[in-house]
Amino acid sequence: MAETAMLRKRMSVSASESPEELRPPAWSFVPRAFAPLLVGTVVAGILYFFVQPAIGGFGSNLLLFAGINIILAVSLTIVNGFTGQFSIGHAGFMALGGYTAAAIVYYGSFKIYGDASFHGGLVSWTGRAGGFRGPLLGSGDLLFVGATVAGGIVAAAAGWLVGLPSLRLRGDYLAIVTLGFGEIVRVVLQGTDEQLRRYDLELIRSTPMLKLMNKLGGALGFIGIPAYSTVFWVYLWVAIMLIVAVRLKHSSYGRALLSIREDEIAAQAVGVNITRYKVRAFVLSSFFAGVAGALYALQIGSINAGELGFQRSFEILIMVVLGGLGSVSGATLAAIILTALPEVLRFVDQYRMIVYSLLLIIMMIVRPQGLFGVREAWDLFRRRRPRGGA
Amino acid sequence: MSDAIGDNLLLDVRDVSIRFGGLCAVNKFSLALPPGALYGLIGPNGAGKTTAFNLLTGVYRPDGGSVYVQGKRVDGLKPHQIAHAGLARTFQNIRLFGELSVLDNVRMGAQMRGWHGLPGTLLRTGRYVKAERGIDRHARQLLDIMGIASREAEQAKNLPYGDQRRLEIARALATEPKVLLLDEPAAGMNPQEKHDLMQLIRLIRDRFRLAILLIEHDMKLVMSICERITVLDHGETIAAGNPSEIQANPKVIEAYLGEPV
Repeated sequence: MAETAMLRKRMSVSASESPEELRPPAWSFVPRAFAPLLVGTVVAGILYFFVQPAIGGFGSNLLLFAGINIILAVSLTIVNGFTGQFSIGHAGFMALGGYTAAAIVYYGSFKIYGDASFHGGLVSWTGRAGGFRGPLLGSGDLLFVGATVAGGIVAAAAGWLVGLPSLRLRGDYLAIVTLGFGEIVRVVLQGTDEQLRRYDLELIRSTPMLKLMNKLGGALGFIGIPAYSTVFWVYLWVAIMLIVAVRLKHSSYGRALLSIREDEIAAQAVGVNITRYKVRAFVLSSFFAGVAGALYALQIGSINAGELGFQRSFEILIMVVLGGLGSVSGATLAAIILTALPEVLRFVDQYRMIVYSLLLIIMMIVRPQGLFGVREAWDLFRRRRPRGGA
Repeated sequence: MSDAIGDNLLLDVRDVSIRFGGLCAVNKFSLALPPGALYGLIGPNGAGKTTAFNLLTGVYRPDGGSVYVQGKRVDGLKPHQIAHAGLARTFQNIRLFGELSVLDNVRMGAQMRGWHGLPGTLLRTGRYVKAERGIDRHARQLLDIMGIASREAEQAKNLPYGDQRRLEIARALATEPKVLLLDEPAAGMNPQEKHDLMQLIRLIRDRFRLAILLIEHDMKLVMSICERITVLDHGETIAAGNPSEIQANPKVIEAYLGEPV
């Protein structure tokens, strides 16, 4: 018994016994928690202020869409890659987030400013470079950021509703349910009422926000949304997405997700509540899909559910598979490549999509496990050594 | 729910049964493991040994009977809840997390007891870092004990067979169980490896004060290591007793060798 006690003591999870590991103050995690975010903000700023002006309008559009695709691909990696569940309705969550944010910013602008023009600061200025005179941040940016997060939350809530019943079951039910969900979202959004316009200002002001949420333009799509999402905002969210995904993967929490992918029965045998983890991974993934949808809608100033059908879902899925199921850096690289490829292939003219498909097929034959498999880019450059606590 | 007897036993199984359609796979299976027990479960192929394990660990839900772990009733609970109650197991057809590293496999077991949520994980709070460090330390100690520490960085699926079995035991031990169920731990090993493994199982039992129940086909092995043996045949418990009683039991001989002519 004494030996057990000693062993237990040695194995105890407490690290505060040894003097060099004195209890640090409660706020000491703050630099550790937010330092990567600071780096991400700086990088996003550099991309916006220095890189974007240098690459022109076409290039910066590509940069933007690559960023949005990175968020979509990496968020789907959490479900399809880490947890091993097969979701093929990611565009549905994107549409929900996009429409939510669009409606909030559009109708919100009317309610607050009386019009739907741009009220942001310099970091949100999507117009001609140099044509802006004003502060770095404006009050409209607050509306925009709030709308983006709200879009994510609505998508996450939908993810919870979809995931809770379908993730209890083993097998491919999730694929079927998410496919159906994506289509339902598309059809419902296409069946919404006519969008209220500038001349309905009094009506917009007198109608509560929730009642405005069904006036989303129907099959014509939602248009005339003031554009706020710039390279800066998109890459700030890319940074958040990457930090979340990488931290998740290299933690007990992420290992629990990976264990579900590897073997559900064994995962349960070591105490993992597999349904709970699957649902949480799904909700987290949906949140970021919703954010990506919001960034997308508020970049081009319009959103149409017809373009966010299962074909869009499959594009995202292809990025995840091409990058390697479970690899964050792989999904990121694949998102960049697949965004740029159709443009790079313009020189083959009308054979563009044929070449694109051929390249995908060749890729899957040569490297069926994807670019990086389950590993990360940085694992390939150094001897694979499992990471310690932090 | 528990009574006086249940409190002293680490595992108390009473009349557990399950039917698959018309087949009674396990009928009124009973077993009691006190602390430090090292018992065996034997029987011909298809006797229901693994099914019995699956009933105890919640993979199947028993049709009748009750299971207590440390006095807590666990039949009808989900497998992960039973694991938290202190029952760990290994699998006959090894179920490792093949793509994960050897160390990560054991960490998966260790993290059951040192827990923290999603916000802590994403914000890297002090508690998270500390818990993660504890999990890491615990996992490495177990790899040491099982003698596979040198392979910690390898993918689990690339380990040789014997080491995979050891790794499964390490992962189960990492959950800090009170009862350990081993499903054919020595299958596919040569005599020397089997001998070493049995030494190790004894050592584990003594060191962690566990109760161990193991399924094994090698009679010589079971007889030499187990203090008490239960024999299943066609889902029925046909005998239970110490090794010499079992060896002399005519029913057991019949089950293994067929009826005398």
